[in-house]
Amino acid sequence: MDEPQISLGAPARPGPDLPGPFAVGRYAKVLQEEMRKRARVLLIGEVTGVGRSKVQAYFELRDGDGAVPCAIWRNDLEKAGLPEGALRDGAEVVIAGGPDYYPGGGAASPSFCFRATHVRLAGEGDLLARLEALRAQLRAEGLTELQKQLARPLLPRTIGVVTAEGGAARRDLLAGLERRGWGGTLVWAFAPVQDRHAAPAIARALQDLAARPEIEAIVVTRGGGSLADLWAFCDETLCRTVAMLRVPVVSAVGHERDSTLIDDVAAVACSTPTHAAEAAVPLDCRAARRELGRQALCLRRGADGAIGARARHLGALARGPARALQRQRTILNQKTREIRAASERGLAERGAFQQRIATVVLARARRRALDRAERAEEKRRRHGAALDSASERALARRREALRKAAVALRAHDPERTLERGYALAETADGEPLTDAAAATAAGRFSLRFSDGRIDARTAADPGPGAGGDQGG
Amino acid sequence: MADAVPASYEAAVERLEEIIDRLDSGQAGLRETLDLCREGKELVDYCAGELDAVGEGLKELNLDDLAARLDSSANPSS
Repeated sequence: MDEPQISLGAPARPGPDLPGPFAVGRYAKVLQEEMRKRARVLLIGEVTGVGRSKVQAYFELRDGDGAVPCAIWRNDLEKAGLPEGALRDGAEVVIAGGPDYYPGGGAASPSFCFRATHVRLAGEGDLLARLEALRAQLRAEGLTELQKQLARPLLPRTIGVVTAEGGAARRDLLAGLERRGWGGTLVWAFAPVQDRHAAPAIARALQDLAARPEIEAIVVTRGGGSLADLWAFCDETLCRTVAMLRVPVVSAVGHERDSTLIDDVAAVACSTPTHAAEAAVPLDCRAARRELGRQALCLRRGADGAIGARARHLGALARGPARALQRQRTILNQKTREIRAASERGLAERGAFQQRIATVVLARARRRALDRAERAEEKRRRHGAALDSASERALARRREALRKAAVALRAHDPERTLERGYALAETADGEPLTDAAAATAAGRFSLRFSDGRIDARTAADPGPGAGGDQGG
Repeated sequence: MADAVPASYEAAVERLEEIIDRLDSGQAGLRETLDLCREGKELVDYCAGELDAVGEGLKELNLDDLAARLDSSANPSS
């Protein structure tokens, strides 16, 4: 803003370098004229310190960087058509007007104000424009990245929470944590979440929580609302505080469609308190317990398996030689069977061959024998007749000779002599007594005639009785 | 990392997963397998302890109460 160029006519000389001195009342009026020449503009900010007089309403319009005292004539305010009570502390408004200066009077105090001729509640467009400007500034300063570089513990034991004491967000966050199976410690830092005192209170709560060493993560949460309702979470000072905290901050402000500036600077921005619970405790404790059990089982199996598999392998190796022997034995048995079979086949073939040979040989021998027999038979037949006749002749000769011999023999037969009347003396044993001495010596003997035998005795023999004597 | 307390739960889980991957690969020798299993069991115990620490039911504290308690312990006479 340029310095006003004020012309007050011929100056007196107050000192060596400055014009004047001037009469102050006149100076004040010139100042008022100069101020009213300034360009008319639109301003946006939060209304504080609203007061009313008979003719005008006055208030301060401020944001994080500063404030301007404002005033609006009552008729201009009525023409604005604001809802009853809309111009109140904490309201975000847009005003149109320019700077003005009241020179005062003999008893009235002078004052400066921004004379508003129009006023309206700030729309989302206005707020979003401010939001984007602030976002760009924070981003340019690198403040949106600081929290994201912090390590977030997978399983924090203690979590700080900044929220409204009676809000639904508190309930939802608790439900989300319990669903996660998380049963650590929550430290609540309750703070207003929707008025001009909210942002400083939230920033103070965050700093207090971060100062506690046991707190490993902080959740800032509130339910949904209009951007104006959530405006505290776009406060520049609050956002700068969050960006500089040593503890990761999880923001869950408003609903999914809402985007406040704290979401930009926080480590994680979530759409709901339930999601914030998951971001604050990244580990699903129930699933982790199950997974840990599975991993413990894997380890046990790993150890048992490593030993068991090696033992089995070792056992297999130990059985290797026996198995190889068995294999060789099997091969040997197989070969033996094959050899036996081959041998039997060879013997059979050889036997069959020999049998065939023998059959041929025998057939030939038989044939030769038959031939010989036939020839002998033929020969026999050829000589049979001659033999028969020769035999008959020999037989006749032998019969004649025999007859003659019989005749000759009969001529010498003693029996024929007996037939001619002679008697033969014999002993009782049938031995012939051929001389008298023998007869005498025998004493008793028999005389055989051709027709019978009688007993005889020598005279010298007394015999058993006289009447018994017979002559020979 | 064997025989040392893990830096954090996530470090323990990361190491545990490495161990199980190594065991699953089947490339570890017997001695290494037994060492890994022993280390893994220690990590499982550590992780189970951490889970137990947040498994006994949610506790709620109020920051204002904590601050008041700290103040009273700092100034016992008051």
